[in-house]
Amino acid sequence: MYRGVSPIEIIRAKGLGFKYQQADTGECWALRDISFTINKGEFIVILGPNGSGKSTLAKHLNALLLPTCGEVWVNGLLTSDEANHWQIRQLAGMVFQNPDNQIVATTVEEDVAFGPENLGVPSAEIRARVDEALELVGMAGYKKHAPHLLSGGQKQRVAIAGVIAMRPECLILDEPTAMLDPRGRIEVMETVQRLNKEGITVILITHFMEEAVIADRVMVLADGRLAMSGTPAEVFMRGDELRALGLDTPPVVRLAQELRLAGVELAPSVLTVEELVSELCR
Amino acid sequence: MNMFRSITIGQYLPGDSLLHRLDPRAKFIALLLFIVAIFLVNTYWGYLILAVIVTTFLFTSGIPLSYFFRGLRPVYYIMLFTLLIHIFFTKGGSVLLRLGPATIDSYGIYLGFYMVLRIIFLVVSTSLLTLTTSPIALTDALEYFMKPLSYLGVPAHEIAMMMTIALRFIPTLMEESEKIMKAQMARGADFESGNIINRAKNLVPLLVPLFVSSFRRADELAIAMEARCYRGGMGRTRLRELQATPRDFLAVAVAGLIIAVIAGTGL
Repeated sequence: MYRGVSPIEIIRAKGLGFKYQQADTGECWALRDISFTINKGEFIVILGPNGSGKSTLAKHLNALLLPTCGEVWVNGLLTSDEANHWQIRQLAGMVFQNPDNQIVATTVEEDVAFGPENLGVPSAEIRARVDEALELVGMAGYKKHAPHLLSGGQKQRVAIAGVIAMRPECLILDEPTAMLDPRGRIEVMETVQRLNKEGITVILITHFMEEAVIADRVMVLADGRLAMSGTPAEVFMRGDELRALGLDTPPVVRLAQELRLAGVELAPSVLTVEELVSELCR
Repeated sequence: MNMFRSITIGQYLPGDSLLHRLDPRAKFIALLLFIVAIFLVNTYWGYLILAVIVTTFLFTSGIPLSYFFRGLRPVYYIMLFTLLIHIFFTKGGSVLLRLGPATIDSYGIYLGFYMVLRIIFLVVSTSLLTLTTSPIALTDALEYFMKPLSYLGVPAHEIAMMMTIALRFIPTLMEESEKIMKAQMARGADFESGNIINRAKNLVPLLVPLFVSSFRRADELAIAMEARCYRGGMGRTRLRELQATPRDFLAVAVAGLIIAVIAGTGL
């Protein structure tokens, strides 16, 4: 199934379009002509207003949805070939928005083991993978805990561990922080960044602009199309366009913009409070 | 708002006692045998033997006694009812008290307390199983026992998976129903007064949203399970494979022995 894929490419979408039937209005294109490639080890953030097709796109990246037209490859495997589905889902693990609705088992360790169990991994190796995955997300002390007694951030980290235990190349997170309190959000984002440093490709779907700042590359979806793509600095430079799409730049970026208009000289790459401070103190 | 709090099904308390470490299948069979023994017992002497066994396990299980009393709470009325029925309607032995046409006989009192003891033994010994065995281990045991049925087309793995998911979601749905109840009460709904029919009617605004959200949860869970490569029981391994040790066979043998002794001696 390999089609001249360069060794570092992990996901490629070509002319991806997805159409679904709606009861009242008939056909509706959720995604239109989307093309991109994602390389191994990258940290990608996909931004977009509600209804822009972010979640639909995410579900195409591990064959939960299949394109109406165009193609998606994961590690050189075509998603529309059903024989590839299980391998693709092992390679591209997915964490969902609601932490409650993705935990299957009654204890943390049993839940993390769920994926490897489905893959038919031998018991001893499952044990090793569960311990390792819980260690990586900082939940090693909660093995026997019942999931409903954990905080939202902890549940989401257990869900991430459940994916990590399948040894994926790529972690897709569909608004993992949307239902969390600020502390849970920080926990999850720190975990995701740490995993990315370990070499796992991360694709984070979010509508929190602050979370996009740490990305290697940001893709902005609007009305099912890929509206913008580039480094966070490049994308946030186009603040007016973002606002036209119903998105906003992070407050720091906007402040930097205002300062520039007021005549303060600032590098175009200011994205965080720390960067702004060091720019101003220069 | 404590209507959900007294349910102890699946209230597993982790621990490291002998009972905790036994194979769930062995515990299951031993419990079944023990229940047979409870029904075979004919005399209070027989109960004394069972009481010694049960209390030994009670105290070595490391589970606070209050948990067992909590387990008994739902059957208090059944116990009281059983006792009264026997005291007033079971005739035999000597007449202890005469209240007009009704009499209270010694045999009635004997049998009444005897039945109450039977209920207590049943509840406590079953709680010993559910309190020392994780729901996962219990469903694993059930799946094992149902495996022969899968040749007859019974979806053993699927039933076990459904039970696991049900157990996993009981606390989540309870939390949710409490939340909905509070939201409805904040808008003037009344769940606590009126007769039983009115109260049942008042539950409709609780049940409808609960059903809707359960379906939504089920849908999301199914997608999440699929994303984690779930495809039924075929080729699936387990984190913890059940492994019977000599200790487990011994436990079943001992339970069998108890039956034999009780049946043999007519206690």
